[in-house]
Amino acid sequence: MFGLRSLVRSAITSGCNINHQQTRNTFILKRKTPVPLHKKGGKPIKLKGRHFVYDLVEDTNVKRKPDVKVILNQFIDGVGNKGQVLTLRPHQAYNEYLVPGLAVYASPQNLEKYDANEEKSTTESNYSSPYVHRTIGCLSRVILQITMSKLEPWVLEPWHISTSFRKSGFLVPEHCIEMPPAQIKGPDLTLQDKEFYVTVTINNTEKVNVRCRIHHWATGLDRLPWEEFHWKKPKEALFPEQAAELEKMPLPQ
Amino acid sequence: MASRIQATARQLSKAYKKKSRFDIGIASELPVAYKKFWREWKVLKPAAVHYIPQEGKWKRDDLTGEILPIQNIPIPLKHPAEIHEGLWGGEAVVKGFQKRDPRRRRVPHYWVPVLKRTVVKSEVLNTHLSVTVTDRTISLINDHYGFDHYLLKTPACDLVSMLALKLKKQILIELMNGCPRYSHDPQRQQEVYEEYKTYLTSYTPEEIEWYGLSWYEALCKLAKQKEAANKPVPLKNMYRKNLVEKLKAAGIESTKTSPEEISSTTSWLSKMNPFGKKDEA
Repeated sequence: MFGLRSLVRSAITSGCNINHQQTRNTFILKRKTPVPLHKKGGKPIKLKGRHFVYDLVEDTNVKRKPDVKVILNQFIDGVGNKGQVLTLRPHQAYNEYLVPGLAVYASPQNLEKYDANEEKSTTESNYSSPYVHRTIGCLSRVILQITMSKLEPWVLEPWHISTSFRKSGFLVPEHCIEMPPAQIKGPDLTLQDKEFYVTVTINNTEKVNVRCRIHHWATGLDRLPWEEFHWKKPKEALFPEQAAELEKMPLPQ
Repeated sequence: MASRIQATARQLSKAYKKKSRFDIGIASELPVAYKKFWREWKVLKPAAVHYIPQEGKWKRDDLTGEILPIQNIPIPLKHPAEIHEGLWGGEAVVKGFQKRDPRRRRVPHYWVPVLKRTVVKSEVLNTHLSVTVTDRTISLINDHYGFDHYLLKTPACDLVSMLALKLKKQILIELMNGCPRYSHDPQRQQEVYEEYKTYLTSYTPEEIEWYGLSWYEALCKLAKQKEAANKPVPLKNMYRKNLVEKLKAAGIESTKTSPEEISSTTSWLSKMNPFGKKDEA
């Protein structure tokens, strides 16, 4: 019979080592009246009613539980790269990362396998920052309306593009903007139903093409009539070499 | 945790031994593999969940200086039927009294664990399961770095629920067969097997076969095995064989046909119904 204990212990310790600290996440009770001692090796004393009167020592359900460490096993947009160690609240770690399979537990084996440690964060990766993927997604969906004068002559310059970006909610410095191959001059109403793209460089690393359209602006009688859902309508490419690239970029539905 | 075995002097003495459940009727033929599981499940004392056990063997009384042994009497737990449909992580219902006011009579009270439904992910079975758990189960899973590690590393007495035991058995069977659920991805299959194969060393195939069976299920399994082992042979076959042999020994000509052909005649004979109507016969 006593051989069993060692057997079970060996079975328990044969696996990989875990922290053997007990977790009690429940009602912890204590008898108000202790049970009297029984003879050595004898039967325990029969419990009476008074031995069932309990005091609540602690309710661990309302206690704050320690954070859980997980390792990402893939790049997650806006979170981190593969092999990054995250320290999260237990329910968040469990429900959002471990159960969907986006991360694994930070066990010694996994730390070794993913070559992860606390200090390592976003140093080696495909992207220059965890948020780049999201920014690329946002910029590639944009149709940039560049408002130019219908009456005054102009030449399209990077600061025009930068201003149009600012109007649509993106702060893009001029040095990040790569202009189209040829100069665009106006006012020229044939540009109204043409489109082209500019290339924006993010963090001096990632490049993304942004679809641009020129709108001729004037007031009074010169104002062009409003076109409904003009952003949904496909338009002709201004430069034939950009046509193939523009075909690939999706229009909003 | 002094000892997880409940043993008394009487149980250990060889002079008189009370008949246990393994000594009565068909149960006496249960294999050692099942007895091992039974001990792990019912004889071993479960871990202290609802009370804080005192450490050590002895303690000194603060006031008198008297040395007294430490005897941790566990708080009796109630196991409702629902416990077997979820994974409560060793928690159970405590039935007792509260003394809310020193001048009033004690009040009956049930301490019931807070249950929630969530999803657990089993790597070996390559599946997600929706189960009823407690907070303690989730933190145990987190402490063991995964659901499979938790099940495989925890003895049956702490798992308590039938669901957990059946899952553990299923996982062990899966491991024993080399994770066939990952057959579409041999590399992943190898990884999973390497991670969990250490647990297989503590079980033999027979022990896995008898693991996680309730008392009734084990008896049914045994009865079925016995029934399959000594299946009764119809006496008519034996008599027919004897007769053919006797006739052969006597050298009678008509018995040159083989016994198989004779047996085939019975099927033709059985179609005859002498008591039926004329056109039926």
